[in-house]
Amino acid sequence: MNQFWSIALLWGLAGVAVSSALVVVFVRDVMRMVLGLGVFFLSLAGLFAYFAFGFLALAELFVYVGGVLVLILFAIMLVHRSEAGRPSLDLREAFVPGFTAALSSILLGFMFWPLAKSIGPVTSPGAPEALGRVLTGSLLSQFEIAGFLLLVALVAVVLVTGGDRS
Amino acid sequence: MILVALSCALFGIGLFGVLARRDIVAILASIEVMLGGPLLLLIGLGSTARAAAANAAAASGQAATVEGAALLVIVVAAAEASVGLALLVTVARRSHTTTLEDLSEVRG
Repeated sequence: MNQFWSIALLWGLAGVAVSSALVVVFVRDVMRMVLGLGVFFLSLAGLFAYFAFGFLALAELFVYVGGVLVLILFAIMLVHRSEAGRPSLDLREAFVPGFTAALSSILLGFMFWPLAKSIGPVTSPGAPEALGRVLTGSLLSQFEIAGFLLLVALVAVVLVTGGDRS
Repeated sequence: MILVALSCALFGIGLFGVLARRDIVAILASIEVMLGGPLLLLIGLGSTARAAAANAAAASGQAATVEGAALLVIVVAAAEASVGLALLVTVARRSHTTTLEDLSEVRG
């Protein structure tokens, strides 16, 4: 019974992720699109937590739901006015993108399918202490580069949005 | 099995959005959907490595390595989103549009 609920939870989270991703791609109303994106991020965080990566689930919540989603909302408030609130989606010209996306998905599926059987149930929860040791040990250079990248992104955002006052 | 199918489906849905939508906000949102697929696959691989580890300490180390890599992916994605939205705001201020078709000309 316990295993049944575990599998049901996994399928439920996967269903929510796919349906909210479809909402993001197909809905024309911008606010509904952002709501769909929020649900998508929440379902991703739920999947991370399901596989016992709790810290990653929290990071997903803080960075994406609390950061990126708010940024997107601010950007929409700044740029979408009146009739621009409904971005265009012409499905008559969607055959080539749909074919390309489907082909990419199928090829990726074939590529990663051998891994599918080895992804098993969760055995032990992740530990934040071990993550801290890795980030300050074997992944230290990548961690530093990520921090530098964030600084560069911050400077770039300031220059791009505020540098054209003249 | 479901995780590989899910991550490929999410990548495909996001790719369709990037190719089919014309609005920059919708394209940025679709890119975020695309990024969700590889992140999920990374988590699945981390789960596999954890299950295959010889003991609890090794399993914890493997999981932490994958978790750290996924965290770095999230950081890079957040930086990309912030720069993309800043460009969107600037373009919308100058051109009064967020549709790619209206932004097909470059200056200089």
